[in-house]
Amino acid sequence: MSASDFYALSPLLLLAGSSVLIMLLIAVRLSHRIIQISSLLLFAISLYSTVFTADILPYRIPPLLIFDGFSSFITALIIFSSLVVNILSYVYFDEKEESPKEYYVLLFLCTLGSCVLAISNHFVSLFLGLEILTVGLYALIAYLRGRNHSIEAGVKYLVLAAFSSAFLLFGMALIYLETGTMNFSEIGERLRTVDNIPVIFITGLGMMLVGVGFKLAIFPFHMWTADIYQGSPAPVTAFIATASKGGMFAVLFRFFASIQGFNFPEIITILSVVAIASMLVGNLLALRQNNVKRILAYSSIAHFGYLFVAFIPRNAISLEAISFYLLSYFITTLTAFGIVTLLSVRETDAEDIGRYKALFWQHPILACVLTASMLSLAGIPLTAGFIGKFYVLAAGLQGGFWLLAIILVLSSVIGLYYYLRIITIMFSKEEHAEIIEKKAHPGFYVASSAALVILTFVILLLGIYPDAVIKLLGGFSMS
Amino acid sequence: MEAQSTSLNYLPIIFQLLVALGFVVFTMTLTHLIGPKRKTADKLVAFESGIKSIGNARQPFSIKYFLVAILFVLFDVEVIFMYPWAVNFREFGLNGLIEMFIFMGTLLLGFIYIIKKRALDWD
Amino acid sequence: MILVWLILILMGGGLLAFMLGQWNKSLPRWIALFTLFAGFLGLLSLWIEQYRFTNTWLVNYKTEWIPSFGITFHLAIDGLSLILLTLTFFIGILSILSSWSDIRDRVGFYHFNLLWILAGISGVFMAMDLFLFYFFWEVMLIPMYFLIGIWGSENRVYAAYKFFIFTQASGLLMLLAILGLYFIHGNNTGTFTYNYFELLGTVIPEGTANWLIAGFLIAFIVKLPLIPFHSWLPDAHSEAPTAGSLILAALLLKTGAYGIMRFALPLFPQAAINFAPWLMLLGVLGIIYGAILAYAQTDLKRLVAYTSVSHMGFVVVGIFAFSELALQGVVMQLITHAISTGALFVIAGILKERLHTRDISAMGGFWQQMPKLGVLSMVFTMASLGLPGLGNFIAELLILLGAFRSNLWITIFATAGLVFSAIYSLRIMQKVFFGPKAGSAPISDLNWRELSILTSLTIVIIWLGVYPQPVIHTAKPMVKYIENIFSGDASAVKNNKLLYQMKTAEQPNKKETYVSK
Repeated sequence: MSASDFYALSPLLLLAGSSVLIMLLIAVRLSHRIIQISSLLLFAISLYSTVFTADILPYRIPPLLIFDGFSSFITALIIFSSLVVNILSYVYFDEKEESPKEYYVLLFLCTLGSCVLAISNHFVSLFLGLEILTVGLYALIAYLRGRNHSIEAGVKYLVLAAFSSAFLLFGMALIYLETGTMNFSEIGERLRTVDNIPVIFITGLGMMLVGVGFKLAIFPFHMWTADIYQGSPAPVTAFIATASKGGMFAVLFRFFASIQGFNFPEIITILSVVAIASMLVGNLLALRQNNVKRILAYSSIAHFGYLFVAFIPRNAISLEAISFYLLSYFITTLTAFGIVTLLSVRETDAEDIGRYKALFWQHPILACVLTASMLSLAGIPLTAGFIGKFYVLAAGLQGGFWLLAIILVLSSVIGLYYYLRIITIMFSKEEHAEIIEKKAHPGFYVASSAALVILTFVILLLGIYPDAVIKLLGGFSMS
Repeated sequence: MEAQSTSLNYLPIIFQLLVALGFVVFTMTLTHLIGPKRKTADKLVAFESGIKSIGNARQPFSIKYFLVAILFVLFDVEVIFMYPWAVNFREFGLNGLIEMFIFMGTLLLGFIYIIKKRALDWD
Repeated sequence: MILVWLILILMGGGLLAFMLGQWNKSLPRWIALFTLFAGFLGLLSLWIEQYRFTNTWLVNYKTEWIPSFGITFHLAIDGLSLILLTLTFFIGILSILSSWSDIRDRVGFYHFNLLWILAGISGVFMAMDLFLFYFFWEVMLIPMYFLIGIWGSENRVYAAYKFFIFTQASGLLMLLAILGLYFIHGNNTGTFTYNYFELLGTVIPEGTANWLIAGFLIAFIVKLPLIPFHSWLPDAHSEAPTAGSLILAALLLKTGAYGIMRFALPLFPQAAINFAPWLMLLGVLGIIYGAILAYAQTDLKRLVAYTSVSHMGFVVVGIFAFSELALQGVVMQLITHAISTGALFVIAGILKERLHTRDISAMGGFWQQMPKLGVLSMVFTMASLGLPGLGNFIAELLILLGAFRSNLWITIFATAGLVFSAIYSLRIMQKVFFGPKAGSAPISDLNWRELSILTSLTIVIIWLGVYPQPVIHTAKPMVKYIENIFSGDASAVKNNKLLYQMKTAEQPNKKETYVSK
């Protein structure tokens, strides 16, 4: 490896190094506060390094890794999400767990795994990243081991993730059998020499889709989502919803772009069915839920369905559309889970929808933040979600996928109902009897709230004046 | 690829799979069918080195055993990486040496963490 | 720039009211009132101004917004927009006054919502970029949702949901149509833009055009509303607070009619002709159906709500007659309906405040106790049934005259609808103010605030009935333009488009100097 390789890899090396460093800090028995602040700093440094190293793009470390505008953006997005999760974690874990410190080590490792996914150009690095991410998540999900749902969620995730990894591996093996290579671009080249897509290849692709679909929680592999969102600690749920999915989606997109799967009608059909079913199932299942975390879980299924509307056409603007949508969705979701985290108490998370009753009249700022994020998820103008949805629709329509676009529109109308429901409850007049006053750590509480308010401003800014970001995304290419 | 590998080339593997499976199924079915079966009470109790079993097998035992065992496995398995490295030591040269030192250093840090967390203290 | 300011002061005033509402309860009311007055005065200056120029477009403001998509921040007004904008600010002032003492909790947030609805509506009347138009179209929904959902009466949450989901679903279909038009135009010409003036006259295959106009029309006729998409309206109207009903009836419904005239017809003329007979049929059905249902209601606000369905039927019939006469009638109808129905909602609100019910059967014989309210109510019920001398008469007459030439049978049935409107209007008076006296509790007559609201509305409705010329003059260019599209050959569209562009192009300099003066 040359020096420039190290330079390009520096965000990932920093993440890996940080995990070891934090481990040592824990070993010398520093307080939770110091651990949290230093991990925050380390996240900030690695985030900065993604910006810093942008000057050598595009760059390859053959055969495993690739750095281009898209992967760099996704890496930054993942690290940013983890950073926000990290800010939210202190207040949440400090009052619940006697040893919350190892949590930060795991957070670094999971972030690293997700970043490896985002830059991988090869089955080996894909699988490596996936496993780093997943193994860390097993522990994170079950971190509050005193809770019933936590253990259940951890075990569920363990079994299902192992199962889906097996599918993924088998799929990769079949594709390797057919093409004799595991590098994405080489697979694409092999595939271009054949007229008809071989049966074994399509079988392998289907099996890979099972594995990837599980991670992204798209139909029909969405069953685990609600339980695990509910059972995980709220900051971890935020991580699962954002950082862990971002890397997977990026690698999926890269793979399909490399093999030009968009030229094969079979693949288009499969993906369209998956997209349509995800949009409808996600939104329909969310309608009857009374648990905010479960609602957000089902809504995430729908949102990844929306993403596929931009994904499938693979035209000039779909890369931008996907990047923008991921950006707006991540920020919005982080904000929503941030509120859940801040409202959580020692015994339970603030997941029951009744907890939000008349919130506006008690915590107007938090309620406004949550309202903004709900509106953004629903795709109402003035918020980032609207521009994102608009972008996705534009990408879909430009490719001529009218059916997908219409389903997107109709299912997002269904989605409106449950987003509005949360908002309505927050603004309802009945006074909530118990006002739970925080907190042992006013300083951190204020810092977390401030972070959420800033994110809300970003949501609004992206909704009102998205041009700067669009220009930035327009400069990206995928090599 | 000079010799395009087709699915036909993998036929022997499928045969092997079938033979292996077939052997298991065949012998198990056969012994089941032709073996004599005499069930007595003694034969149905759990066998434990010829003496009578005492108590329930699912007894709680100290987590320390498990912890030590898992730590042993963790560090033991890392040695696997060293065999291929040692075999190719000459080709790797100085770089290889440095890399292995980094690897060992990281392991050592983990070991320090374990000791500091008192995972190996018995009390 | 004045157009931007109109929106900015509304939004800024809303934010200010929200923030200051935390400390002082009456401050938000004054802020809102002041904001709207300022805007209203600004608009009046434009009225005076428009007589000095003969151009179609009075003010034009354009700046880049999201250039990557070809989205501009393009606001412009012609006569039609000016009329509707003035109406918006006028009704806005009255709505603040009408809820002056009604709303006691969360005053700041209430006025925030109110002003943002008005900002959204004003934006809709000014936007000349389809993306911007959709943007404002949606901006007005959320605050309206809150207005109904928080300050409404018993069944408010249901009504708010229904309102929101109907309008949002139809709006999203419009967004699809907008995107479709965007790509078709972009693929035809190579320039991807949402600019209204450039999209005019886009060559679209007829099948596609039918689908696209359907996307636009669905959004507009849900707002209007036209049967069978009217079912949100009675619920929303009856559950909303007085100011909410006032804005819904007087302004929100008008955005639908405006959208059809401004966007659906000029963008897809041929498709509009294909759809016209069916929409006129639905319009007539709406006239009669609304009137019959209005007669059957016992809830005063629901009754008035159904009269809106009936009146809006006239609007649809008038628009799709494609004649200048009928379109002038439509413009008149938009204003007079806003005034008369708005006034009836205010009256219903006044009665509800005193009686705590909207049930007509619990009312009666109020003439003795509330003579002032009685007289004023008489004016507006008469207006609603189309008494000559009041504005509604002019509007309906013009519509019927215009429609007569294009479709005889439709016109005959629409005229029959007028008879029904007489029946339900008289029933209101009969039930509420005459007949045996209901209840024994003393009821106070109007106070100065209520009196001033209703008096100003009365003045306007009589003025429109006696001297409608300013409105007709102002709306003429737009109306003439629409008629030209449909009466002339296909090239008329193209020519008109050019005409429009030239006028807008030469306009800004002149106008901006005037504004900055």
